Amino acid sequence: MDAPPANEKRISRFLEQSHERIFDNNKKWVEEMKIDDPEFFDKLASGQSPEYLYIGCSDSRIPANQIMGLGPGDVFIHRNIANLVPNTDLSAMSVINYAVRHLHVKHIIVCGHYGCGGIAAAMTPADLGILNPWLRNIRDVYRLHEAELDEITDEKEKNNRLVELNVFEQARNVIKLAAIQQSYAENHYPIVHGWVFDLHDGLLKDLKVDFEKELAGIQKIYNLTK
Amino acid sequence: MSILSRFRSFVYSCIGLGRSKAFSTVAQMDAFEKVLAGNKAYAQHTAKKDPELMKSLAAGQSPEILWIGCADSRIPETTICQCKPGELFVHRNIANVLTPGDANSSSVIEYSVGVLKVKRIIVCGHTKCGGANAAMGDGDLGDTLNSWLAPVRELRRKHIDELSKLPSEDAKANRLAELNVEHSLEILRKNPTVQKAIRERDLKLHGMIYDIPAAELRSMDIPEPKQLWSPPTLHR
Ligand SMILES: [Zn+2]
Ligand SMILES: [Zn+2]
Repeated sequence: MDAPPANEKRISRFLEQSHERIFDNNKKWVEEMKIDDPEFFDKLASGQSPEYLYIGCSDSRIPANQIMGLGPGDVFIHRNIANLVPNTDLSAMSVINYAVRHLHVKHIIVCGHYGCGGIAAAMTPADLGILNPWLRNIRDVYRLHEAELDEITDEKEKNNRLVELNVFEQARNVIKLAAIQQSYAENHYPIVHGWVFDLHDGLLKDLKVDFEKELAGIQKIYNLTK
Repeated sequence: MSILSRFRSFVYSCIGLGRSKAFSTVAQMDAFEKVLAGNKAYAQHTAKKDPELMKSLAAGQSPEILWIGCADSRIPETTICQCKPGELFVHRNIANVLTPGDANSSSVIEYSVGVLKVKRIIVCGHTKCGGANAAMGDGDLGDTLNSWLAPVRELRRKHIDELSKLPSEDAKANRLAELNVEHSLEILRKNPTVQKAIRERDLKLHGMIYDIPAAELRSMDIPEPKQLWSPPTLHR
């Protein structure tokens, strides 16, 4: 076991390190929040009832709450590489299940972003090891929209269009799920949306997924309502 | 003033609406429009306050920290740490569970550690965690969630002697959340890409608990006698 001097050294080294700042910042934030609403955190402690589920990219430049102007308690969040919703992925499936069946969220947002590193990696003809199966989902999106994407000669434009098409396909993957279809038939929610975030101006672009129309189209083959 | 009204007044001050007009508009605003308005405010605010940051973000990302946390809506990591966009690469799932066979988290770890070369990984659990709470029992949560929470239920079984001595359901779930963070750190330490980064460039792993009632982050790295957990062996 650590002798006290070694332990002290360890702590001081720890305190010197940059993420010490995180604890200071956290304390500052708590103080600020309590000035506005002294009971704010007591209310949060009693439970969560977010209206939104946000499925976005892990990219550090897109802090979900901040870009939507939402506070603690407002949005349930899943973030992974390139905002994918593979139908056999237990992690994403668990998040959606919990959000729809237990939290009864009203909106599900699939949010991609231009300049996505995950999309770019999938467009790179290289063996990326353990990333291959994950990125394969993006390559499958390309294959679904091959004719349209092949028409685009500019690489950057092509990647950006793939970002949009990926959001469409992942939104469709969400709509294909039993939890969504059954909840919608019963309650008329949740509604699934597709967005793209633009790092250049900080704005979200609504891709205007026509939820009713998509649902009807999908249920021709993937009807899991009953 | 609630955070929502605070946020709204911020939005309206940004888009130049007076207060009285703002509130009549609010009544008609649905949840979805609210978010888009919030985003416009964010974009304008960021462009005005920190145009250089916006420019550098558009050029690329070089986060120092990978944050692995719970999907719970009450823990917006960037907000509670008052970090800037670009600082935290983020993976959030139900109860911040890591398993070696999970392609989702494995891809996040591979990309952030192997490609982006983050310097630290923070695994953050929290008190009042619905996932930890559900894992304290064997209630049927449906096939999907039963499978996802199986490793956490397994942890409960492994530590049942310690857990059963705790005085309340809350304390038990909170302790299980801590054990789950320690377990996730163990999974990380066994990951070949993480091992290589620890060896070659001194990647650091940290465990944290976010206490929801106090809204405070507590480090599991520093042993304090008051805390329930024993320090992990990582830094020895
Ligand atoms: Zn991305
Ligand atoms: Zn949780």
